[in-house]
Formats: sequence, C-alpha cells, structure tokens
Amino acid sequence: MAVKAFGIVSSADNGTHVEGLHDYRPIGSFSFLGRFRVIDFPISNMSNSDINRIQVYLRSRPRSIAEHIGSGRHYNINSKRGKIQLLFSHDTDTRSLYNTDICTYMENLDIIERMHQDYVIIAPSYMVYKQDYRQLLDSHVASGADVTLLYHKVDNAKEYFQSCYSLNMNKQKGVSSLEKNLGTAKEKNIFMDTYCMSKEVFISLINDARKLSSVYTLKDIINIKCKDLDIRAYQHKGYFASLTSLKDYYHASLELLDYNLASDLFQTDWPIYTRTTDSCPTKYLESSKVTGSFVSNGCIIEGSIDNSVIGRSVEIKKGATIKNSIIMAYAVIEEGVHIENAIVDKWAHVIHVKDIRGDADHPQYIKRRDTL
Amino acid sequence: MAQNEMLAMILAGGRGSRLRDLTTKVAKPAVFYGGKYRIIDFPLSNCANSGIDTVGVLTQYESVLLNSYVAQDGRWGLDSKDSGVYVLTPREKADEGLDVYRGTADAISQNIDFIDAYNPEYLLILSGDHIYKMNYAKMLSYHKEMGADATIAVRGVPMKEASRFGIMNTDGKGKIVEFEEKPAKPKSNLASMGIYIFSWKLLRKMLVDDMKKADSDHDFGKDIIPKMLSEGRSLYAYEFSGYWKDVGTIDSLWEANMDLLDNKNELNLNDSSWLIYTEDVSTLPQYIGKDAKVKRAYITQGVRVEGTVTNSVLFTGAVVEKGARVTDSVLMPGVVVEEGASVTRALVAENVHIGKKSKVGRKDSEEILLVAKNVKGGTK
Repeated sequence: MAVKAFGIVSSADNGTHVEGLHDYRPIGSFSFLGRFRVIDFPISNMSNSDINRIQVYLRSRPRSIAEHIGSGRHYNINSKRGKIQLLFSHDTDTRSLYNTDICTYMENLDIIERMHQDYVIIAPSYMVYKQDYRQLLDSHVASGADVTLLYHKVDNAKEYFQSCYSLNMNKQKGVSSLEKNLGTAKEKNIFMDTYCMSKEVFISLINDARKLSSVYTLKDIINIKCKDLDIRAYQHKGYFASLTSLKDYYHASLELLDYNLASDLFQTDWPIYTRTTDSCPTKYLESSKVTGSFVSNGCIIEGSIDNSVIGRSVEIKKGATIKNSIIMAYAVIEEGVHIENAIVDKWAHVIHVKDIRGDADHPQYIKRRDTL
Repeated sequence: MAQNEMLAMILAGGRGSRLRDLTTKVAKPAVFYGGKYRIIDFPLSNCANSGIDTVGVLTQYESVLLNSYVAQDGRWGLDSKDSGVYVLTPREKADEGLDVYRGTADAISQNIDFIDAYNPEYLLILSGDHIYKMNYAKMLSYHKEMGADATIAVRGVPMKEASRFGIMNTDGKGKIVEFEEKPAKPKSNLASMGIYIFSWKLLRKMLVDDMKKADSDHDFGKDIIPKMLSEGRSLYAYEFSGYWKDVGTIDSLWEANMDLLDNKNELNLNDSSWLIYTEDVSTLPQYIGKDAKVKRAYITQGVRVEGTVTNSVLFTGAVVEKGARVTDSVLMPGVVVEEGASVTRALVAENVHIGKKSKVGRKDSEEILLVAKNVKGGTK
C-alpha cells in the first residue's frame, strides 16, 4: 500500500567535502561496506516504507548515481505505479555558493507541484541509517506540526559529525533552532537532514527561502522559521552515521565490522537493495588469512586481511597484508604490499610502494585508478 | 542476432533421481551450484550472452519452483521488448487430451504452435542440467557454413568413459556418419552434449511424422537423430573444448563444486565478458569473523564464517559458527553449522542445521555424504 508521501533524496550541501573520494563522485555514490552505495540506504528506506514516487536531486558529477539507479527496478518499486526520477541542477559547481538544495528545488518546482501526494519525506543521500518513514509520517500527522525533523542523540559529537547540524529543543520536542556542530560538546542531538512536511509547507518554504536570499538552504529557512512555524523533532533509534568527512566515513565503515552492529542495520524484513554486478563468489586460496572483515563477491584472496572492508572483484596477492583499511572495487594489491589505516579507491593498483600507512584518525587515501 | 533467427528451447523436465533428496521437491535444473547459481542459470545466461532473445523452458517434474524461477526473465537480461523466457508445461489442447511429455522430441512437438508463433529459421535445443559456457551464435555460424540440416555439439571425453555417452562417429571433416548410444566398444570419443541446432522447417516436418509413430520413444537421441542419418541428411558435429559437466550424482555435483577451487579450472565465472546471471538477493557481503580461518574456499555474499572453513563451497546465507569446522564440503543456501560442529566430505542441502558439537561425514569416506535433514546437537 502506497503511503501519502513522496520521497526526495537530497545531496550534501556545498560546504561538505570528503577528501579524495568526493573528487570523483557525490557522497551518495560512495561505496559502502563493499557492495552498497550510500544512496541505497535512503532509497531502500523509502521503498520499504511503501513510498513509490522518489525524486533524487543531483547537484554535481551525476554520472555514477545515474548509472547506479538506472530504471530503479532493483529498489523493488512497481514500475507502473512508482517511479524514481533523477533531477538535476543547472549549476553543477560543487563549491559554488549558489548551488544549494533550494536552487535545485526551485528549478524543478513544477515537478514538485504536480506530485499527487500530500506529504513529502526528504532524506539525505550521505547518511546511513534505517528508518520506517511511515512512523515518521504518522507522528508528523498526529502532532499537527508544520515540519518534523529526524534526529539522533550521539555522544561523540566532539570527534565526529563535524559538518552536521544539531537541534536545540524544548521539552516537548519543539525545535527552537538549528546550529552547526562545532564539536563543543560530546552529547548532541544531531539533525539527520531528514524532513517530513506537507507539500504546501515545502513549496512555501522554497519560495520564502528564495525571497530572502539567493544562497539560502532548506536548513537555513527552517532555522529562521523556527519562531513562526510549529517545528518538531522525532528521535531515531538504531545505527546512524553521517559520511560527511573522510574520518566519519572511515570510522563508520570499520565500526560496522562489529557484526552485531551491522546486522541491526541489515534485517531480513528491511532489505537494503543495490544494483547487482553479477560477480561470482569470492575465491580464497591456500595462503589466505582473513579475519574480522567484510568481503564482497568476485575477489581473489591470496594474502592477509584483518579488520577491513573489501569491495567487489578486488585482488589481494600472496604475501600482501591489509589492516584496518577499505579497499574499493577492482583494486589490485600486489605481492608483499602492506596497507594499514588506508582507503584505496576503485581500480587502484598498488605494486611498487610496499608500505602504505595512515593514522587511525586520519586514514591515507589512495586515488581512483592510480598506480603506486 | 536478427530477431527470431534462432529460438532456444531448454529441456528442463528431468527429475535427476540420482541426486536423491536434492530433487524430491525440485527438478534437477533448479539444483544449486557454485555458491550462488542454479544449474539452469548456465543455459539461460549462455542464451542471453549469445544474443538469443526468446527462450522456451520445457518443465514437467516438480516444476512449481522452477517455473516461478525462470519466469523472472529480467534476471538474465531477457526482458527487453522483443525477448522473454516462457515456461511451457504439458497442457490440455483443444483437439487432444492432456498428455505428459513422453520424450525430449515429444516435448518440442507438443509446443510446435509456440515455436510457429515466432517463425524462427533455426531451433536450438538445450539441456537444462549441464554446467558450461558456450557461445551458441558461433555454433549457428558453423551450422550455416556447413549447410547442415542439424548440428550437434560434441565434446571429447576420455576413451575409457566413452561408453557412458552417446557417441558421434564422424568422417574426419565433421560430418556425422554414425551415432551410437552408450556403445560397448566406442569408435570415437566425441560425446553428444545434448545441444542441437536444427533448421526448423525440416525438424517440424520430422516431429509431425514422429508423433504419428506408435513405436517411437519420441526422443532426439533414440528416434530423430537416427532417422535423419538413415535418410542421408547432413548432420555435423560441432566440437566444444571448454568445461562441461553433467552433474548426475551427488558425487559429481560435489566434484563440480570443488572444481571451482582449482586454480586451473576452465570454468572461469569471473570473466566479465561472459557472466552467469542468477537471482539477485539483498544481503550483507560475506563476513569473516575475528577467529575465523578460511583457506581454499569459494564463498558468496550473505555468508558468515566464525569457525574454520577449508576446501569448501559456501552458498548464500550459510553460517559457520564459532569452533565449527567445515572441510571438503558444500553448504547450500541457509545452512547453519552450529558451534563446535564439524562437517567433512558432505553436501548439505538448503536450510539444514547441523547441531552443536555434532559430527557429520568422514575424512576417508568413499562417497560424499548427502545431508538433507537437520542434525541434532551432539553431547560431547
């Protein structure tokens, strides 16, 4: 049964930049836990919540996401009743002050106005969590609020979530303001950049933002409207990560190597869909030694791997050792290479440099298609 | 390939009774193979990769699962406008009663109307229970080049095993002069792979004649091919040299899985130009736990290993718990080997649980053990 909301999957704002990875693709297209892309999470959440009209807004380098989503059939959405639309912004400069979410919504306002659904759920393509949006919508409708914001209570806001916002709330979970997390306190109510509101409120917020300033974001206008509108918060429970810095991305990936934590995020009644590459199973050879790791299909493993995430069709040759690292799809790590605390991007070939090490706090990044 | 130039029909009605409990509820083509596949994924993927758009799948024995499995033609990319996978089970007809498929040729005869609707120039007949990768488009080019009435794919087998197969004797230029079913004294080692290309017009006529014959077994090997030879038609052998396995028994199914662990294995499932497609499942990648030991293994997504796995193939969702040991074995989807249990030289059927500390199979067993029912936990 389809719900009364359509979905919007948003892109990270122009102030967010993830070292290395972000030069090649938007965060939604980052590989996650080997076989997923980050955008699989919001789209699967929507699909599992019976939202079958989904708009994905792309503000830069759309190629990889367009290719990954394609017809959207793998997200289990009825191909007649449902649809995943890819909507683009004319301004594709990631660093441009003008390239905001409001700007993209404005450019596609007629499409938003034509949607049949009364409500909209907006979710980010750069955060990982599991949420039944029907519960968020029900709570929003029952409360009579103008806007409901999803948040997560964290106790590590000093180290992580640096480019996120936190919510200031009164006891009734009324939101009084949004504030950038500057790491001033450990405990914060981190805003998950997930909104629920009626289509009318959404359209009026877009218009209001544009009237006030050409560079305002949806977050900015909501912050300003806190005084006039009834804006409430809804608490999310379960696993949550924001992949808005290399440190956050690395931390989240390794943290999920705790199988209990990962299985909370991946339950059989809440599948996370992705595009299959039809790769065959992974082959472990006589000399392989693998512990505490997620390994994707299509790999050939001859070396040692510990506490790491291995993407699809990766080759780890004899005597190579991988520790606390993320090796992305199609990378080849040759004999005798040691890699520790590093993120190796897709198609990289590590052969001549035998020792690559980063810090636990600052992983070493190896570029896409690079030969080292 | 030009649209409808060649239509493929896959014979998938066989039970495969020597696979014992694995095929009590499903037909042999639906049996699991290679960590994530079912056997019928191979001919279907071969068709898709060879540019064949339309495939009929002839099912009969315990066909519910197989029918719903192959009906999802998008899995093999056979879901474009002009293509499709069609399930063809025996049916009641207006002019005659409901009859089972009495033989391989009869299965095709009973679906002449289906084939006529596509009006193909050539008909490709395949078996649904063989594991191999083959480009049927190349075989068709050969068929045309030879100007053949029928082309039969053959593969060289060891001479001492040749008497187990249907053997083609050729004139040295590929023309078949004689066909012998399981000959006691084989004259050649070219075994029929059960893959035929016929010119449809001719085959159609022969099938119609064959249907009228009371003494016919309505079988390609026993009736149609011998008839064509006796009529002096031009039949050619198309020699194939790659990996090809007919997994008829538990031992051969186990062996075919073990072949994947061999570095020199000819069946490269990692070749991105000729992938084998299958059902897409939503799971985590495989997880290898902190205390796990994995050596010589073929493991797919959704598997969790906390114990020791050696020389084994693990299918989707299989779990090897802490302290458990899996050696020289095949664990089919959803199998759980509980804490401290051991599985040796066994093929464990789908969703079977091996209880805590129990021991299944022996290192020195002559035959591979088939475990099709849950095993209770041991006390030791």
